[in-house]
Amino acid sequence: MTNSLKSKKGIKSNRLWLFGLFLFAVLLLFLLNIMLGSVRIPFKEVWGVLMAREGVRESWEYIVRNSRLPRVLTAALAGIALSASGLQMQTMFRNPLADPFILGINSGASLGVALTILGTGFVGGLFLPAANSGGEFTLALAASAGAGAVLALILLVGRWVKNPTTLLILGLMFGHATSAIVSILIYFSAPERIHAYSIWSFGSYSGVNWTQLKVMAIVILAGLALLLLLPKGLNALLLGEDYARTMGLNVGLLRFVILLSASVLSGAVTAFCGPIGFIGVAVPHLARNIFKTSNHKILIPAIVVIGAAVSMAASLIAQLPGSQLMLPINVVTSLFGAPFVVWVLLKRKRGAASFNV
Amino acid sequence: MPPVLQTSALKIGYKNGSRTPKIIADSLDLELRVGELVCLIGPNGVGKSTLLRTVTGLQPKLGGEILLSGKSLEAYAPRDLASQVSVVLTSPISVGAMRVDELTAMGRFPFTGLFDRMSAHDWDVVRQTLEVVGVDKLQHRYVHTLSDGERQKVMIARALAQEPRLMVLDEPTAYLDLPGRVVVMNLLHDLACGHEKAVLTSTHDLDLALRHADRIWLMDEAGQILQGAPEDLVLNGSFAQIFNRAGVHFDPHSGTFDTQSSGINPIFLEGQGLALIWTRKALHRAGYKVEEAWTPGCKRVRVEDQGGAYLWHAEQDGQSETFPNIHALLQRLSA
Repeated sequence: MTNSLKSKKGIKSNRLWLFGLFLFAVLLLFLLNIMLGSVRIPFKEVWGVLMAREGVRESWEYIVRNSRLPRVLTAALAGIALSASGLQMQTMFRNPLADPFILGINSGASLGVALTILGTGFVGGLFLPAANSGGEFTLALAASAGAGAVLALILLVGRWVKNPTTLLILGLMFGHATSAIVSILIYFSAPERIHAYSIWSFGSYSGVNWTQLKVMAIVILAGLALLLLLPKGLNALLLGEDYARTMGLNVGLLRFVILLSASVLSGAVTAFCGPIGFIGVAVPHLARNIFKTSNHKILIPAIVVIGAAVSMAASLIAQLPGSQLMLPINVVTSLFGAPFVVWVLLKRKRGAASFNV
Repeated sequence: MPPVLQTSALKIGYKNGSRTPKIIADSLDLELRVGELVCLIGPNGVGKSTLLRTVTGLQPKLGGEILLSGKSLEAYAPRDLASQVSVVLTSPISVGAMRVDELTAMGRFPFTGLFDRMSAHDWDVVRQTLEVVGVDKLQHRYVHTLSDGERQKVMIARALAQEPRLMVLDEPTAYLDLPGRVVVMNLLHDLACGHEKAVLTSTHDLDLALRHADRIWLMDEAGQILQGAPEDLVLNGSFAQIFNRAGVHFDPHSGTFDTQSSGINPIFLEGQGLALIWTRKALHRAGYKVEEAWTPGCKRVRVEDQGGAYLWHAEQDGQSETFPNIHALLQRLSA
């Protein structure tokens, strides 16, 4: 008895330790993201700006305030949102390779953006003035509209398609159909518009200004608030919908809230940053592996700290500190993410059950 | 006290969109009381799972009535239903890193709030449950590191932690080895008579069901269910009637299935004790018809007990030979 209690306490203190470690990493990455970039700003000056002190060099203050601070906050929020969305999808579909976009949220957003950037040639400049002058906010609106349309469709279809696997395949099919429409648009578009579209599809944390960041933060916090109601339901779904039902849960409502939360989270990120891959697949697995649990009461806080850290690390690498160059965020996440997913698959083949959802 | 489960004129099956529903069984009148272990038995595909899913509320009935503790199944709120009935389903679960105590604690879901805060009482129930089922030593192990038998016990512990009046299990012994099956059936019997539960389980283990069940529900391909004590069903020929198919024969003496002996070559066997029984089985398998009396010209085998060791003497065509084991005997006979 004492022995078992001890081991339970041991696990708990171990986890607190890990949380502390990741919180420290988040803070460190936050500072590094602000200090490093095409110009290097010393810690003292960064601290001065953050504390709103006088006497900081004006150009540095401008860079920190209007470029690096919103970017690092965007990175953190996006990382958390994508991880949270991916975790919910993996649990709900009981599929270790499910990601936030498995139901076609990003396809919808892509279609919205493609119609705005590429489609303007067809619709006689309906969007053209907006696309040229309003800049990034137009794209965010277009992407939100696309993501929102898919979200509505998923929630609607989710009401009467009871089988999760069917829902999954419907999402995939929808994704293929929208990609085809995007391809048609690309095929008939001028090169510079195609370029503008591909820039968006690479993903970026840099295009988000303070106004957009506020909107994005509110939407993401709302999605996370929904997620906080779900750990019990998600844990029950680990055993499957039938068990969840016989344990007194309202599975229909549960599924609705999961779909809503996951889609809002991934939709918000895609709208403002473009389709960002791999974080949503990889972070939930990292969290399960590092914290050695499938219990969502622990996993949800875990993916918050790990998601923020991974995303901020990707943002830092994408800046290529010390150079004038910048990599698209998707290049960084994919370069690290693809080998990771390969590793997951190979490890599963060797029978590591810890990679079950 | 009303029975835990009572159905009248229950019609089960699948609704098939706008087409006519596929009816699996019609007018089922069943009853299950606290303290009873009932085994649901029947050939594959007769609809055992459908019946179990219907009486647990996982699947809508097509007609009739299901009463749980005297109240209509449909009148229960999901949570109240969960504190009446708990289940163990056929398909093995595949969770990753989850400990045995965490999984068992899920059985408390109907009693905890939205944020699943476990009270001291909830943990007490979990602890007692683990002890009753006999998996308290495993409580900090991860579920995926357990053997099939251990995992099935943990699933039973989870169902028991729901403190239901009725436990419904769909082929809980399906993936287990023989000792594992016996352990699970013993446990279910113990839960029924020692812990005030009504237990309903489907199984293909006829001999275990005959030994452990208080009553058997025998389901046939027409969706009829014959009810009774296992012994009654043997004596009135119900088993033989439902399970007898080409080449398989229910032996009412042993309560087991035999491949029908199609022996034609007569052979006379003499001897006694255990060795005689097993020699007879071997000769049956080899296609011999074992005779009780010797007739001239017939082959003849005599088992000699030498105090723990045995010798087999065979006489055919006027020659006599001795063999150290049954294998050698059979080889010589078929040569």
